[in-house]
Amino acid sequence: MSSVGQKLKQPKNLSERIRFLRDYYFKGSQRNWNNEFTSWNCGKDWDAQYNEMHYYIVPETFALFQTMYQSFRLSSEKVEVPDDFFRKNIAQRRAYFNKKVITDFLPCEILPGDLLFGSRFNLQTSFCLDKKEMKDRNKKILGKNGLRKKAIWFHDHGFGNAGPTGGHLIADYEKILKYGFKSVYEQAQSLYEKLSPKDKKSDMGKNLLAFMEAATIPKELALRYSEKCVKLYENEIDSKRKEELLKMSKIGEKVPWEPAENFWEAMQSLWLTHMLIMSDENYPGPGVSFGRIDQYLYPYWEKSLKDGMDREFGKEIIKCFFVHCNTAYDAMIRTGNNGITAGFGQLITLSGMGKDGVDLTNDLTYAFLEVIDDMSPILEPKPNVRLHRNSPEKLLDKIADMISESQGAPFLLNFDERSIAGMLREARLAKLENLINLNNVHDYAPVGCLENTMVGNDRSGTVDCNLNLAKALELVLANGKEFFEVIDPITKKREKIRQLGPKTGDPTKFKNFDQFFKAYEIQTKYIIRKIFELYDKGESIRSKYHPTPYLSCLVKGCIEKGKDITQGGAEINFVTLEAVTFATTVDSLLAIKYLVYDKKICEMRKLIEALKNNWEGYETLQAIAKYKAPKYGKDDDEADEMALKVMKLWTDETWKYKTTSTNRQFRPGMLSWNYWVSDGYILPATPDGRKKGQFLSNAICPVNGADTNGPTANTNSVGKALGGKNKENADYLDYINLLPNGASHTITFNPSILKDNQHKEKFKAFLRGYIENGGTALQINMLDPEMLKDAQKNPQDYRHLLVRVTGYNAYFTSIGKELQDEVISRISHQKI
Amino acid sequence: MNESKGLILEIQRLSTEDGPGIRTTVFMKGCPLACKWCHNPESIKPEPQIQWINSRCIGCKNCIIVCPERALTWDNGVIIDRTLCKGCGKCAESCPSTAMEILGRIWDVEKLTTEILKDKVYFEKSGGGVTISGGEGTFQSSFVAKLSENLSKNKIHVALDTCGFYSDQVLEKIFPFVDLFLYDIKEMDILKHIEFTGQSNELILKNLIDLSNKCMNNSNKKIWIRTPLIPSMTAREDNILKIAKFINENLSFDVVERWELCLFNNLCKDKYRRLGIKWELDDIDLISEKEADDFLSLAKSIITKDDFCYITGSKRLVEN
Repeated sequence: MSSVGQKLKQPKNLSERIRFLRDYYFKGSQRNWNNEFTSWNCGKDWDAQYNEMHYYIVPETFALFQTMYQSFRLSSEKVEVPDDFFRKNIAQRRAYFNKKVITDFLPCEILPGDLLFGSRFNLQTSFCLDKKEMKDRNKKILGKNGLRKKAIWFHDHGFGNAGPTGGHLIADYEKILKYGFKSVYEQAQSLYEKLSPKDKKSDMGKNLLAFMEAATIPKELALRYSEKCVKLYENEIDSKRKEELLKMSKIGEKVPWEPAENFWEAMQSLWLTHMLIMSDENYPGPGVSFGRIDQYLYPYWEKSLKDGMDREFGKEIIKCFFVHCNTAYDAMIRTGNNGITAGFGQLITLSGMGKDGVDLTNDLTYAFLEVIDDMSPILEPKPNVRLHRNSPEKLLDKIADMISESQGAPFLLNFDERSIAGMLREARLAKLENLINLNNVHDYAPVGCLENTMVGNDRSGTVDCNLNLAKALELVLANGKEFFEVIDPITKKREKIRQLGPKTGDPTKFKNFDQFFKAYEIQTKYIIRKIFELYDKGESIRSKYHPTPYLSCLVKGCIEKGKDITQGGAEINFVTLEAVTFATTVDSLLAIKYLVYDKKICEMRKLIEALKNNWEGYETLQAIAKYKAPKYGKDDDEADEMALKVMKLWTDETWKYKTTSTNRQFRPGMLSWNYWVSDGYILPATPDGRKKGQFLSNAICPVNGADTNGPTANTNSVGKALGGKNKENADYLDYINLLPNGASHTITFNPSILKDNQHKEKFKAFLRGYIENGGTALQINMLDPEMLKDAQKNPQDYRHLLVRVTGYNAYFTSIGKELQDEVISRISHQKI
Repeated sequence: MNESKGLILEIQRLSTEDGPGIRTTVFMKGCPLACKWCHNPESIKPEPQIQWINSRCIGCKNCIIVCPERALTWDNGVIIDRTLCKGCGKCAESCPSTAMEILGRIWDVEKLTTEILKDKVYFEKSGGGVTISGGEGTFQSSFVAKLSENLSKNKIHVALDTCGFYSDQVLEKIFPFVDLFLYDIKEMDILKHIEFTGQSNELILKNLIDLSNKCMNNSNKKIWIRTPLIPSMTAREDNILKIAKFINENLSFDVVERWELCLFNNLCKDKYRRLGIKWELDDIDLISEKEADDFLSLAKSIITKDDFCYITGSKRLVEN
């Protein structure tokens, strides 16, 4: 999720140290030092490193799989493994291998002035599979009926995408800060020792040994960095820097193995612990998130301030931490930062409520906000600020100021009441009330972009399944088939039209909308089963062949059960089904009802013809569908009722599935990363008037330009689609939330909403209104000149843009070119 | 129109420019004045009108076929013969892309109340409410009185944006339910006022004094004064000085909370074009920043109360 309109913002208040580190980072591939992937093999000719299943959810990389697979293989360096290597289980092998690479081979470097160590972590390491295992894995993935083919088929046919990807969770960092990795090691050790001799030889016993091995990686690495600090100390002439290096070397002797005792130690412990997760998964930064960083670090912050740490120096450490987070992007620095690397989201969560709705904003919350303000624009970590009914005015003031200065929010807002309602709902539906309840639910935090999870014990696979709800419409309209032959984008091979979904009947024979909707229900159930089946296959391969023992040490439940996290070891195990094209689907259903059944403007046959012809030759009908049929997002109760009906349908169905290999429960959410743009070129024309090639709707947002009643109406519609508010069957207080994962919502404001202090108060009040009526997460964008220029060219997409002056209103697209230019010029100069 | 039905031009939500807090502005149709600078010219006539929005038209010509008065023709676009058009709205109904638009729709007062209440939470959080604007709210006084009554029963703050050209009986009906009056003093010179607006300002100024007195006895009701600053018309030193003096001498500062000098707005050029009206002010530039500042200083030199005089609207971008 990117926030547009940050162009004008410049970093500020940077010390010489931070300016150097930040500027150096932005030199990108010009740097002498970087954190590019390095690749390592175990000396066997069948060995490989690149796990393409991570990227089944990144369709733009499909064509690169073979290249990546080969290039990492060919460029890998050999690491000697002991003779008994393949007698151990895969988790043990991976723990051993990764430890060897990290502690024996990776260079330890510290950039000038850096206050934190831990620089190289982007790795591609051996799968550590023996010949037979590798053969089986390759057959399952690359074979004739292999997963790769299925994943690509699923995407090329417009269903969406699915695959077991990494990250997207919050490790139990707090435990490491408080008790050190020592405690992890000891826990695994004591469980292992209690096992019977037979169990010791079982997978459970072997996993515990793997966890123990993995738990020592950070200790040994920290010691290496500590030695490096001593060397740098010896060659340093600046006395102040000498002192810092000496302190850093002491810190390296202590954390993360031992508990941290001050802020510097805590930040160091946190960073090293965190970065090694990315090493362990061989995947840089995919939503490996920090959780409520201003809460669990606060005791250290407070203590260090009391002990005399200068507050500015504390912020300086945080700024170094920010720079480190960004180096995840170095993974493929030579091939450019697109595709895979654009999707990182190491989130930090700030503020939010505690038990009983008490606000937990503290001085560290503000310190982080100040750092964001000073450092932005910067890519990582991505901040989410949690708001709720008792959020303090001071926090909202700071937020309004930052948004105003950045011309768009440099953070995402998360809304506690609605989010908590979703978490309690999942607890109830998955019977996890012992793990998620009123005593701890306030500790939830988002990962990736905005996906809500619990902390330290939860893997909810928040981006693993992305389903185009609109696909079910096409299947209804073609009686379970697709409209067209699918042509392979690379080989140009044509695939004949086949019966895919159930035969739901000839749509031209449906007598009323209810019959149509019945068919839609059946096809929706079909596409959900389809994505489940695809994911389930990948999940079983991952659980068998791709353990992550280091990460498992950091997620509660894995050690206790002696089970790797990839095998379902975490206490809370969900897979999230993220629905894409929600509003496009709702508006299409509304249009069908309006055109064919209510107003009888056309027969079904004609509508289908129009869609098959991509609306060409049917422009009048298309315009009616687009501009006259009801739309979701305008606070129109009837349209929003359809939205809720669709929401209930697919979410109820989602709850019916669990993975077969790992027993992970499916739960619903709405994030649509960039699929709403790219899949627009795959899905055919839709009944809402959209042509093939035009964008689909994004997450829970209304269709672009459909929210003609402005931000409050848009917000109300979103809240209603999530279940609204109701005292009787609410999930939390009077809030209902059908999407425990949360839903991505973006609103674009006219910058005039923040033009002076009186308007800032209005904007703050809007946010307080959003807490009551809106969704779980909000990205705030500000109208920028680029958008207005696009509106001049494509007025049909921007009918909702309003120009407001006292007592006056006009739609941007209905004023003449010359005046439009003037408005654009005003927005550019922030004079509106 | 009556108590239960009103002719409404537009309902604008998240309105941040028409009174305190977040508001929903209801633009009523019909106005007793016809100011030369009016930036909502489509709101003046008290009956529905149609307009054609070029950028939305897909050229299907449905409108021309359905028009019962044969008021529409096509010549590189839709041409409306306004002498024939009766505003029946059939063209707008048949237009697939909303290029033909009916200006003015009849709303039921209860439905409108329900619609407005959808944003109640935003009004509450911001100290906002509803602004009845126009056109002229008092022009459909029974409807506006009923709407205001409904809203005030729901504890919604009501502001009435008025030109002040109304009778005592009209005010009687509305007064109890309005919390804030946004009251225009456009021009102090009677002849000029007639020239610019079509009506004299005597009734308007008398009504304002009465209103101020009436509000005195009702501590919760407030007035904001608004003056449009129109180049070569109202934007004259003598006019601003006289208005400032008028406020000072006749009105109570316990009641009148602010005075807004609203800068000339030319974004409505195309509205005139679409209505087939040649606009006298079509070529007039916006007021420059310096001029605006000078007028504000002038106002402040007479009325020294803090946070009282304001400038609103857009200034000229490039100084020339």
